[in-house]
Amino acid sequence: MTRMYHRLPVDAYTSQDWFDREQQLIFSRTWRYAGLAEDVPEPGHFISVQAGLNNIFIVMGRDHRLRAFHNICRHRGTQLIRAVGKTQKALTCPYHDWTYDLEGNLISIPDEAKEYPNGVDKSCLGLKPASVDIWRGMLFVHPDPNPPSLVEWFGAVDPLLGPHKPEELVEYPDARQSYEIKANWKIVVENYIDVYHLSHLHSNTLHMYDHARAEYGWKGPHYHFWEPPASDYAKDLEKNLPTPRAIPEPHIGAWVPMLFPGIGLGAGEDSWNIFIITPLGPDLTRVENRTKLANASGWEFQKQEWSSWSFWKDFGGPKYPDSDAIGEDDPMASGDFTAEDIYACEQQQKSLTSPFFEVGPAANGESPVVRHQQAILDFLETQEAGT
Amino acid sequence: MNPNFYSLKVAEIRPEIKGKATSVTFDLPENLSETFRWQAGQHVTLRFHLNGKEQRRSYTISNPPGAPLRITVKRVAKGLVSNHIGDYLKPGDTVDVMPPFGQFSLTPDPVNRRTHYFFGAGSGITPLFAMINAVLKEEPHSVAHLIYGNADSESIIFSKELDKLKTDHANQFTLRHVLSALSLWSWVSPWRKGRVDAEAIKAAVTETPPVAQDVQYWICGPGAMNAGVKQALMALDVPANRIHMESFGGTAVTASSVTGNAANAQVELGGATHEVPVAADQTLLNAILSAGLTPPFSCQSGVCGACKARLTKGQVHMHARMALEDSDVTRGDILTCQSIATSDKLSISFDN
Ligand code: FES
Ligand code: FES
Ligand SMILES: [Fe+2]
Repeated sequence: MTRMYHRLPVDAYTSQDWFDREQQLIFSRTWRYAGLAEDVPEPGHFISVQAGLNNIFIVMGRDHRLRAFHNICRHRGTQLIRAVGKTQKALTCPYHDWTYDLEGNLISIPDEAKEYPNGVDKSCLGLKPASVDIWRGMLFVHPDPNPPSLVEWFGAVDPLLGPHKPEELVEYPDARQSYEIKANWKIVVENYIDVYHLSHLHSNTLHMYDHARAEYGWKGPHYHFWEPPASDYAKDLEKNLPTPRAIPEPHIGAWVPMLFPGIGLGAGEDSWNIFIITPLGPDLTRVENRTKLANASGWEFQKQEWSSWSFWKDFGGPKYPDSDAIGEDDPMASGDFTAEDIYACEQQQKSLTSPFFEVGPAANGESPVVRHQQAILDFLETQEAGT
Repeated sequence: MNPNFYSLKVAEIRPEIKGKATSVTFDLPENLSETFRWQAGQHVTLRFHLNGKEQRRSYTISNPPGAPLRITVKRVAKGLVSNHIGDYLKPGDTVDVMPPFGQFSLTPDPVNRRTHYFFGAGSGITPLFAMINAVLKEEPHSVAHLIYGNADSESIIFSKELDKLKTDHANQFTLRHVLSALSLWSWVSPWRKGRVDAEAIKAAVTETPPVAQDVQYWICGPGAMNAGVKQALMALDVPANRIHMESFGGTAVTASSVTGNAANAQVELGGATHEVPVAADQTLLNAILSAGLTPPFSCQSGVCGACKARLTKGQVHMHARMALEDSDVTRGDILTCQSIATSDKLSISFDN
């Protein structure tokens, strides 16, 4: 008998089979986050990104328009470019020096006459085009050259994601990080959208927001979430914000949506953050964080830090008091909500292979967890029907 | 396209830029609304009888689909029709109008998310204005950038309307004026001085690079500007299939440095061959009409392609050839309404 974890079999979180299916049918068939728009700042700059089974690169042409291609040499398939770089006009494959222009046309084959005495039709050997677009300051790629537009994909959820204009904010490089979690990617998503855990796991770290008044729901496979500041924090909000406002007054609250598949955003009055979830294996997941703040002077940041100091100096702390902690780096004594989340995900994953694992009833605040499982099932079903 | 004329009543006449152009709005009876449904950027052909002769001109519709049918006609020095419209046409008059046509059109779609760059000059604004309005109304996720060249601030058609669009759609529309004859007393301080040339285009694109990556370029100005803008875009590696352009509709093109010569033309039409004398600088179409024949034609502006024929012998010069693709031209197709003879023997055929 298949053991179930709400809507999905437990297998979906542990087996290579499910992992392969999701890679093929979800992560290789959707718009995938590829970076921030400023990662490709000028004509000639390029980056590549692994999007499910596809490696896609983005390059900016002289017209400042981005082009996306599958990063596969049309000769014997060698990946053409490495992570990031800049070129003038052409991209040359390292293996046999086949060279492509920035439109993807194959423009030269070394020793063409000698190596291909019967001729070779270069016009049929251009790079395979993919798609790229920019949305909310982020780059997205799609393996199909004619995919559904981002309006069709994100249009319905877009108005619920907050008034932020990420393209007008500036990245705070110190907050950029990438780490691995020893858990299935869906465990990480479920943790992100679990409303129930906010007041418990994070009882001492995220209580500046009022979880009881959270508003959340779904637009297709995309989850949206907003909650207002808690009364203590809200009383003197403008003074209490740790950094200058990133959105204009009177907007308040925290927007924490999870877009499909595994694209988390977390934005408040003074910051905008991304939380990109990439499956690496059935029980291994990478998370990438980047943060943007107001485009304000150092002096304004300083003033805001001073004004908010009295609120934050006594705020929060570890969930478990020191006496209960096991050792120096116990995540449950870290006072850091990310460490708390990682800990919870990994501890949960460990039990999924136990024959004694049996899931308990889902709480109200866990309805998003169940709904996300359904979104996975629905998406897989449509994709399988389409193939 | 529907080649019939319908008699429409003029609802409103409004002088633009101090009478140097005229907007004409027509009453469209309910039963013609389907026949006259248009895409932003398309034209209508008007027919007048002036000084005992029939005159046809096509003009761009300067309103987006859904709004009243309106054309905006700039006066041409000594222009027979444009001045007639500016001086004599009044509300209540009826005019023969042929239903909308034209390849230079923008069809908005709410699920599209595009960056549209519009490059225009002078009365080339008319189709662009309709297109911009269509985008702002029907493509809420797209943006429109207009780079608009004029001699001076006095000659900017739709100046107020464009300013209003800019205020009403601050997140979706940018407007940049390029003025070539900048006077000290100008009330508008333009984005640049000079013309809509390669440098201006590069600056515009760098200043407002595309966010939505489905990028389309729409060009409408005098022929020379169009060619220049297209060349400048191609130099930036813009793929040709993203560039859409048209020379001004409406003004019958007369000014041209090329002069024709008198010729004899053999004209194949309706299965018969006729000898037609062509006077120097007379268009082939006019010569054929004067000979009492009935060739197909419509706009007489080089826009619709109705007067197309195949040149099998001799040479002609075409003032404009907007209705033809490059491949048509290589095949020998000509627009007889735009062709003057440059060799003294010609053979053309309407029959294929
Ligand atoms: S594999 Fe790229 S040139 Fe041979
Ligand atoms: S009559 Fe329309 S192109 Fe000649
Ligand atoms: Fe959490």
